[in-house]
Amino acid sequence: MNINNMKANRYLFFIIFGSSLLFYSCGKDWLDVRPKGTVDQYTLANKEGIEAILVGAYSMLDGVTEVSYIDWGGASSNWLYSEIRGLIANKGTDAGDSWEGQSIIHYSETATNPMLNTKWRSVYEAVSRCNCVIMVTKQALAEGTISQDQADLFIKQARTLRGWYHFEAWRMWEMIPYVDENTDQKMLSNTEDIREKIIADMQQGTSLPHNMGAIGRFNGTVSKVLLAKALMQMNHDYTGALTLLADVKANGRKPDGSPIGLAPTYGEIFDIVNRNGIESLYTVQYSVNDGSGGWNGGYGEVLNFPYKSGGSPAGCCGFFQPTQEFVNSFRTSGGLPLLDFSYNDNPVKSDQGLKPSDPFTEDTGPLDPRLDWSVGRRGIPYWDWGVHTGSDWIRDQTYAGPYSPKKQVYKKSQEGIYTETGSWTSGYTANGYRMIRYADVLLLLAECQIETGDLFSALANINMVRARAANPDGFVKEADGVTNAANYVILEYPSFPDADFARKALQMERKLELGMEGHKWFDLNRWGNTLEELTRVLDYEKTMPWGDNMYGSWTVIGPEDVTYPIPQAQIDISNGRLVQNR
Amino acid sequence: MQILANLKYILLLVLTIIVPSGILSAQEISINGADSVKLPQQLTNKNFLSEEVTTGYTVQRMRDITGSVSFVEPAMLTAVPAGNVSNLLQGRASGVTVTGSGRPGETSKVRIRGFSSFLNNDPLYVVDGVPTQDISSINPYDVASVSVLKDAGAASIYGYRASNGVIVLTTRHGEKGINVTYDMSMGIQQPGKGTKPDLLDTKEYANLQWLVYKNDQTVETHPTYGYSGNPTPSIPTWAGNTDWYDAITDASGIQNHNLSISGGGENAKFYAGFGAFRQNGIIIYTDNTRYNGRLNSQFRFFNGRLRAGENINVSSRSYLSVPNLNEGSPILTGPYRSQSIIPVIITQPISGMTHDFVPGEWGGTGIAYRLGNADNAVADLTRRKDDRSRDTYMTGSIYMDIMIMDGLNFRSTMGGTSDKGFTTNNTYATYERSENIGTTSLEKSRFRNSDWVWTNTVTLDKQFGQHKIFAVAGFEAVSYGLGQIISKQDSIKCTPTRLASSFISANYAFKDKYLLGAAIRRDGCSKFSVSQRYGIFPSFSAGWRLSNESFLQGLKWISDLKIRGSWGKMGNQFALSPQNAVYLFGESIGASYYDLYGTFNSSVRGYYPSRIGNPDAKWETNTATDIGFEAALFDSKVSIVFDWYSKKADDLLYNPPLPGTAGIGEAPYVNVASMKNSGIDIELSYQNKWRNLGFSTAVILTTYNNQITSIADGIRYFDSGNSRIGTLVRNETRHSLSSFYGYQVMGLFQNDAEVTDAPYQYGAEPGFFRFDNLYDDDEIDPGDITFIGNPNPKFTYGLNLAMTWKNLDLTAFIYASKGNDIFNSTKWWTDFWSSYQGQKSKNLLYSSWTESNKDATVPKASNQSNFSTNTQVCSYYIEDGSYLRLKNLEVGYTFPKNMTYKIKIRSLRMYLQAVNLFTLTKYSGLDPEIGGNDLAFGIDYGNYPNAKQFIFGLSLIL
Repeated sequence: MNINNMKANRYLFFIIFGSSLLFYSCGKDWLDVRPKGTVDQYTLANKEGIEAILVGAYSMLDGVTEVSYIDWGGASSNWLYSEIRGLIANKGTDAGDSWEGQSIIHYSETATNPMLNTKWRSVYEAVSRCNCVIMVTKQALAEGTISQDQADLFIKQARTLRGWYHFEAWRMWEMIPYVDENTDQKMLSNTEDIREKIIADMQQGTSLPHNMGAIGRFNGTVSKVLLAKALMQMNHDYTGALTLLADVKANGRKPDGSPIGLAPTYGEIFDIVNRNGIESLYTVQYSVNDGSGGWNGGYGEVLNFPYKSGGSPAGCCGFFQPTQEFVNSFRTSGGLPLLDFSYNDNPVKSDQGLKPSDPFTEDTGPLDPRLDWSVGRRGIPYWDWGVHTGSDWIRDQTYAGPYSPKKQVYKKSQEGIYTETGSWTSGYTANGYRMIRYADVLLLLAECQIETGDLFSALANINMVRARAANPDGFVKEADGVTNAANYVILEYPSFPDADFARKALQMERKLELGMEGHKWFDLNRWGNTLEELTRVLDYEKTMPWGDNMYGSWTVIGPEDVTYPIPQAQIDISNGRLVQNR
Repeated sequence: MQILANLKYILLLVLTIIVPSGILSAQEISINGADSVKLPQQLTNKNFLSEEVTTGYTVQRMRDITGSVSFVEPAMLTAVPAGNVSNLLQGRASGVTVTGSGRPGETSKVRIRGFSSFLNNDPLYVVDGVPTQDISSINPYDVASVSVLKDAGAASIYGYRASNGVIVLTTRHGEKGINVTYDMSMGIQQPGKGTKPDLLDTKEYANLQWLVYKNDQTVETHPTYGYSGNPTPSIPTWAGNTDWYDAITDASGIQNHNLSISGGGENAKFYAGFGAFRQNGIIIYTDNTRYNGRLNSQFRFFNGRLRAGENINVSSRSYLSVPNLNEGSPILTGPYRSQSIIPVIITQPISGMTHDFVPGEWGGTGIAYRLGNADNAVADLTRRKDDRSRDTYMTGSIYMDIMIMDGLNFRSTMGGTSDKGFTTNNTYATYERSENIGTTSLEKSRFRNSDWVWTNTVTLDKQFGQHKIFAVAGFEAVSYGLGQIISKQDSIKCTPTRLASSFISANYAFKDKYLLGAAIRRDGCSKFSVSQRYGIFPSFSAGWRLSNESFLQGLKWISDLKIRGSWGKMGNQFALSPQNAVYLFGESIGASYYDLYGTFNSSVRGYYPSRIGNPDAKWETNTATDIGFEAALFDSKVSIVFDWYSKKADDLLYNPPLPGTAGIGEAPYVNVASMKNSGIDIELSYQNKWRNLGFSTAVILTTYNNQITSIADGIRYFDSGNSRIGTLVRNETRHSLSSFYGYQVMGLFQNDAEVTDAPYQYGAEPGFFRFDNLYDDDEIDPGDITFIGNPNPKFTYGLNLAMTWKNLDLTAFIYASKGNDIFNSTKWWTDFWSSYQGQKSKNLLYSSWTESNKDATVPKASNQSNFSTNTQVCSYYIEDGSYLRLKNLEVGYTFPKNMTYKIKIRSLRMYLQAVNLFTLTKYSGLDPEIGGNDLAFGIDYGNYPNAKQFIFGLSLIL
């Protein structure tokens, strides 16, 4: 054997083997691995697929989502951004809990406050889902997988939702970018006036039918109210809103086609079982024990329960405690509220500084009965949880005062049925946010009537709301079920002497009727008296025993506090295309 | 010629590319160690220039290598008992930074030469030829060799994941004859004094409340302590005085048993190893138990022209762990958040806030108002004491090696791993807390995961006169991530990743003086779209053995001297999602379902845009340069290895946050960022022997300097490290990864005049923080936030000392980290009254600012929570985290052979050992060795400390 030849051959083999390896590409198909367990837009371009994306867009109405962890900072009930900001309630809980919320009540929030970024991401995630519905609907229409009528239904709902979500952003920041299905994310801008675009979107839904076949959809009625709100808030267009609201009052229907009206008594509105009752034009549909682990059960409001498990609901976390000033507003004189704020001269008595075992004499002065549905306070029965026993329901009285929230709280008998089980808290409930209720519509209508000079109709509408509140069947009762829990005195207005009086009455009525329901700060901004009204309330709250701890002596409200700063993170990401609004 | 004499076994080593060298050499050349147990002096790098090391697909002699390779003596891996090989690498190889807590079963964080990626910086482990991400199932006693491939010259042959460095492990193989060894150790771990010296007892806490009342001028009736106007608080009869650190910890045991049997004849050999390891954690009920069985066998056919064999390891693990470095950890909820007044167990009836307590029940924050909201950590740990996780992990390979001719071999290896396991998670209804859980639930989840690799190589090893060629070529197919996770919410089928690679590397030596190396590898990966699929990773290296040059021949004190350099590229794709390239919709009940029909308890399926695809993502590449030298001096008594390196990582995958207006769909990874690292590695050793006294020492020094050079167009930074006061870390260009970012504290405001004169600052008042007005304007605002600390150490080092005197031996191992900052986030809980009503520090009571203690650094005790107290990230929390720790001190005695032979024992050694005996540090927390993820580390959220261990052990050979 010729060793050298052998060797040479084998080296050749080595070289050929080696170089062939380097350039082989047998793995071409083998390296194509398709993702498992997901869907893309092509599989969804049909009726069922679009329907599912639309459901995804509706599901953002609660403002929260598990993926990407958009939590209470995004809550659509706006308990933080509107009620706390509007001093109907303070942040509550104790000093160290949630500095982000703290800075909002200190009117010291900066653009880097992560809550604001959460809210921003919440509304724009919702917008992006609407845009997906529109995009895929167009694609399906082009492919002929759905009919034009079907496409119209999808697009009208999606555009109304998109308009609403933009409006939600507008009332937070005013200077916001408008994003539709054609927007190039790299070309965003927030310097353009986008109000017309929002209105154009929201007008789409006004031609939707009454009966959408599901209580959770937007119909024509819902769309009209939303549009009216936007017209009033953004443009002070009371004439336009008046037409829409009058039509709703006359002909409105709920999204399942059923009639609308005032519930017979005030308190029942907030009972979970009545969340889709006659009063409710649109309630955000929370669900519990559906596998979401609480994310569909009012995740955004989970903090807002009294702080005591066992004898009181949920047990956590003691946020959202009503202010003394709000409580005082319910003082009546001759059955009517004190429109000159003199109620603060005769404040409602509280158990501040007392232990539950210390004796306490309740306030005996005349009060609007809606107080005890809006606020939990010592000595008053609290749903079916028994009597509110005072400081043991409160996380830290020295920090946040003696009151508890009540409207969103579930009944004891509902625990486990309308609340999430197997979670750290029962504070995930099916008590959906009453986004639009009939009394709100009446008061918005009254506001339009006042601004257009029809004081007579305005009086009638406001008195409708008061008359319902005055139904003694709806007063909070003591344990015997007969005796009123406090000295409730409420009457209708005999007349409105002038527009100024009517305005004051209207503004007070919204505070009393809709307090703790997410409207206050937006209302003030619409009325243009945010700075003076909040300064007045803040000055009073600071004198409370907890005032210094809660607000600090240095908290002041400035003219810039009619908006929130645009999240710095979004300005940074936009590479400077978005600009700060202040 | 030495080379020729050694050629025979070098060839044999080459034949078995994946079979480790150390063991083969043991059988073929019969290393004398077979007859006696390993002595501690062998723990040092002895004569490393003549050792063989397993490198990329081959075994080479250290002296021929032109890349930068550190290797760790296997004995070092058994020097201290630990559940996991990764923990044992600390301070043992230069260029390797290892951090780990004392939590049983935790895999330490191993980083080679800094950071090369935002996604994943774990090195690639190759165990007996099988690439893996997890070496926690490997029994340290089965390991025969560990090589750390640090630069491109050594590692780029592993192309696709080499940029984080490669650690090559081989396991032991059979020897001729029968050998039985047994090693055992058992000992006790001590929790130490914990937090007691720093935190308040019951009476002190009440006094602190009185101080807060005084400072805030608050008047009220405290629910527990009575009227604030009283001269002193009254303490209720139910009050406990709990040291929560003591309550959740206990002295605990650790034991380790290893039995190995190896043997064989000319054509068949085997190694069988059995290990049992159990470590109870110092936190009650925590433990980690591992049983291992390994069988490695080899067979020769046709006079050795065909060799075949297998390595298989089965390990069964069972552990009960606890969260660490987060809010769920018992270290945080116990000592740092629970007031001393809360009794662990109720001793007298109490009508509590949430519950009427009777003796024998758990105490908790529900006893009375203002006890905060921390869980009773002892109750939690006790309730979940059956929450075990178990898994069965199998890994192994089979191989066949054909000698085509002398010096030319073909080898095929098929390997894989399979891991199956489940976890149990009980949630119990509670009654004792202020925030209770209403219902009891049980959640189990299962997973399975497997991967496989098939490697074919041809190796050429030839010498022609003064030319020596050593080359390997091959191809490899890998598939990993074949698995499924089944939990309460989901059953997720994982999208696997496939890789197809080919490579060739060649080394050439002329006269044993001039060394050249080159390698190139081409990898294709299924994660990338077709156009970006392949990455090509070349490297070049060269060495010059100066000691063989005539001009140095005269210098007798130089035994060996080689300088070398390398340049090359390495790749990374590991952490990229296999779905990165595609645009997808997803569904999630909590994110996209809606109760459209108003049912209260069900929701309709909905979709949301879940991922925005990027078909353009491509390989991360890392360009590395290394220059170094190796020297053996004075008869090889002194050896030095020095390396300077620079790594530049480009096209780093990063997912720039999408604008909120794009929705929450997962942002795609794009190749935008870059980072650089540079540093030096030094390994110095000295050994000598004088009559009965043997001495050796080694210093292993590691430095790295990491800098982010770019992130994305228009993006200068991203934040990470969440806390109750926002993100603590900013990763920004021209700064190191995980730099701490917040306000700089100048001091405390001393009086009202100072507050008035200072730039406007929310909440400013005497006794509160005064922040530095860096952006010189009239207000303290986000523009004044700056970098306040860096958790990356300036350097770390290991110092090993070993001495023998007659049959006695002594070893000591010191590990130290210098120049790293720690963000002590536990101070947020304990140094501010208004950071929840939990436990507070002695500093807050005794050293905080008051009118009569104006020199204080701790702010005034107050119930105010605002910008000037505890709502901002600031430099108050930063501490120097440098430390020096005596990791091991061991004294052993080897019985004289004439004694042990009588009882049929060939060798017997017994030892006593103290692990973590002391730590020198200025850091105030429990343990300065703090891990965390790469984008936010060095943050102390309450750290499971490394415990002191006192161990007795013995090793014997039958």
